[in-house]
Amino acid sequence: MRQLPATSRRVAAVAVSVVLLGGAAACGPEKSGDSKGSGADGAPQKGGTLTVLNRQPQKQFDPARLYTSGGGNVPSLVFRTLTTRHRANGAEGTKVVPDLATDTGRPSDDAKTWTFTLKDGLKYEDGSPITTADIKYGIERSFAPELSGGAPYLRDWLVGGENYQGIYKEKKGLDSIETPDAKTIVFHLRKPEGDFPYVATQTQFAPVPKAKDTGAKYAEHPVSSGPYKVVKNVNDGEHLTLDRNPNWSEETDKERHAYPDTIDVQAGLNSAVINQRLSTGQGADAAAITTDNNLGPAELAQVTGDKKLASRVGTGHFGYTNYLAFNPKAKPFDNPKVRQAIAYAINRTSVVNAAGGSSLAEPATTFLPNQKSFGYTPYDHFPAGATGNPEKAKELLKEAGYENGLEITLTHSTAQDFETSPEIATAIQAALKQAGITVKLQGLEFNDYDEKVHKLSTQPDLFLAHWGADWPSGGPFLAPIFDGRQIVKDASNYNTAQLDDSKVNDEIDAINKLTDHAEAAKRWGALDRTVGEQALTVPLFHPVYKRLYGKDVKNVVISDWTGVLDISQVSVK
Amino acid sequence: MSLYFLRRALGAVLVLLVISVVVYAIFYVAPGDPAKLACGPRCNPEQLRQVREQLGLNDPVYVQYWHFLQGIFVGHDYSTGTGTMHCDAPCFGLSYQNNQQVTDLIAERLPATLSLSVGVVVLWLLLGVGIGLLAVVRRGGLLERALIWLSLAGTATPVFVSGLALMMLFCAYLEWLPFPSYVPLTDDPEQWAWNMLLPWVTLALLGASIYARMTRSSMLETLAEDHVRTFRAYGVSERAIIGKHALRGAVAPIVAMTAADFGSLIGGTMLTETMFGLPGVGQMLVRSVQTVDLPVVVAVVMLIGAAVVVANIIGDTLYALADRRVALR
Repeated sequence: MRQLPATSRRVAAVAVSVVLLGGAAACGPEKSGDSKGSGADGAPQKGGTLTVLNRQPQKQFDPARLYTSGGGNVPSLVFRTLTTRHRANGAEGTKVVPDLATDTGRPSDDAKTWTFTLKDGLKYEDGSPITTADIKYGIERSFAPELSGGAPYLRDWLVGGENYQGIYKEKKGLDSIETPDAKTIVFHLRKPEGDFPYVATQTQFAPVPKAKDTGAKYAEHPVSSGPYKVVKNVNDGEHLTLDRNPNWSEETDKERHAYPDTIDVQAGLNSAVINQRLSTGQGADAAAITTDNNLGPAELAQVTGDKKLASRVGTGHFGYTNYLAFNPKAKPFDNPKVRQAIAYAINRTSVVNAAGGSSLAEPATTFLPNQKSFGYTPYDHFPAGATGNPEKAKELLKEAGYENGLEITLTHSTAQDFETSPEIATAIQAALKQAGITVKLQGLEFNDYDEKVHKLSTQPDLFLAHWGADWPSGGPFLAPIFDGRQIVKDASNYNTAQLDDSKVNDEIDAINKLTDHAEAAKRWGALDRTVGEQALTVPLFHPVYKRLYGKDVKNVVISDWTGVLDISQVSVK
Repeated sequence: MSLYFLRRALGAVLVLLVISVVVYAIFYVAPGDPAKLACGPRCNPEQLRQVREQLGLNDPVYVQYWHFLQGIFVGHDYSTGTGTMHCDAPCFGLSYQNNQQVTDLIAERLPATLSLSVGVVVLWLLLGVGIGLLAVVRRGGLLERALIWLSLAGTATPVFVSGLALMMLFCAYLEWLPFPSYVPLTDDPEQWAWNMLLPWVTLALLGASIYARMTRSSMLETLAEDHVRTFRAYGVSERAIIGKHALRGAVAPIVAMTAADFGSLIGGTMLTETMFGLPGVGQMLVRSVQTVDLPVVVAVVMLIGAAVVVANIIGDTLYALADRRVALR
């Protein structure tokens, strides 16, 4: 799962606490407004410099080490991959489309073998041709422990991937990746994986020329296959400058537009400062965007009150669910009636308010995000209504033998990230009190929380959790959480309910064989609905992202794949 | 005199060694697994094992610490996968997060931290001594009370409040200054100064008040002494008494304090750097603590320790030079 690192959560928390100060000034005069309106209209043109103001520095810039959904934001400007995400607004943007390859892959052998062919005329920034051997090499180096950090799928899926130690130690490479010629590449998987085209959007599928590989130092000068090349990367990814790659051709790349001549990424900034700079739009900030900084509840209230500013807010949805997780093997949660009672007692209105209000969170009753590409199938097995049903909860508790009430502990983090943070826990505590359940809160520092909840031996019995999509499909959303074979003993475990149900496992295998995404989505939706009956989790809410952009920014495209304004589409002229 | 410095230098080395041991010890009881954090979420067990091996986390703690000491005195060779990277002594190892040499990371960030600290110290002295002096000249008046109140407010306001307030006023509302973004002094001295102005003022406000109060009280103390009364009796002008005699009495403690504070400032710039997004050592320390990046944390903490120790030695020396009653022994 791609998730924001702990740092950004904490920085955000600090920023939110001082945001009221910022809000007052946000209503000040907009001197350089030039009554241009939103700036988002008009035909996009080439030229100019786009500034990116971010919290998180781009610490990793090696395609092997990046953990991205669909290739990432800034990295996707430099690294092209076999396939990529469709750069379109909303649901259309959840589609996977060809990038370096001519199509999204041709499955055979029950989707256990995938073949891709490269387009003609593909070149690196130095003009040398891109070959399939470079893609194979790029994947094989991503297995090296020096270059760890990427998503686990290649290791889990490729034949021989499990114990492979990377091309530096095992120079023979992986037999499961064949390159019969410079244009063809064939992948052999351990089991059918209908979602393989989606995984091929990740940066591990970017070509790396062996002659230019400098191992752990490659991130300093990665060789570009995309529309921009890195000309400056200082202070550990805090200041990146990208210029046009003269050897990139629009002919071979239908997805990236590359309107600006230069992209200037400034990171390591304070959240409130980013939002203030975007709102003021002084100098280069007028042509600025952010790819990782949301508007907080207080900031959003200020922005909404100003029409001009409100027109410069991009709204994005990223497949993500915040939920309450049980350990169904521990008392009293081993009793399904207790779990159901808690599900009935939840007051989603107060939870949504704690998460920043209805503009920043949508109530959830399904584990899958409320988007079609995931296979969203509405259900509400334990209808709590908008504000909870404590009577029904009491009834169930009585049946479970707890007519005199119940005392439980809820573990959360102290990160103040509006996800696993104290305010959400407090909202739940208040709702459960109505049903006669006394909740003791246990707040843990974020690293401590993260380590404890993902380790079987230390996992709390009831805790706040969240899960995000590596790509917009039901597979990466449901399998790590509910597939019994994904219970991990020696590393981070995400199947925290420790569900190992052969029916569920078999259905996951069966759906993975499907290569028709729409057909698979339907089945994922049905599976979600079935698993939901067991009340192993209580879905709470899906977050909504609101981000400001500068007044000279045009061609704003926000897909439901990333929920972020797509940097490759932006024009500043 | 030379014996004095030798003894102080040995003491400094000892202090730094103790600091490194303490940081190592804290690191091993603190939550967070660096291998997991470097390996990414959902890293599978086999890969986690390989990463742990590669980072040397499987060795016992004392072996890891021994390697760390070795690196400092004789340097270290690391594999990049495609070749070998030599890390010259003093080598503080590689960042767990991105395999970069810690000494390079620090060297890259030291200019921003030094830019901030030097500017702040200059402002402290100018503002602090200036206000202190003014308060003494106008003692008993409304101005003195106002200045004392203002300096109290300065000490009491945290950097993340005053920094944000100043930024909102001067950058967003009045648009007199750019939103600070670090420009190296060597690239463009003018832009460097404009961009550093707000961070300087923010941090200086916090310390200047302490200097103002100290200048004022030292001077008032001197003014109450017998020899000043004698000067007055001889008809020496008030201007000369304050400017020559009282100020001289305040110089020694201020010089000593400045030197010591300059050392601890390197550590205290964390909040200001984070607030203004300055790529300094303090900001890196905050981030490295959160990602359990031990080599970076140990190196930065030792650097801060060294700065404090050296600054203290300089402070003591200057104090002795300014006040001939004090001898260095």
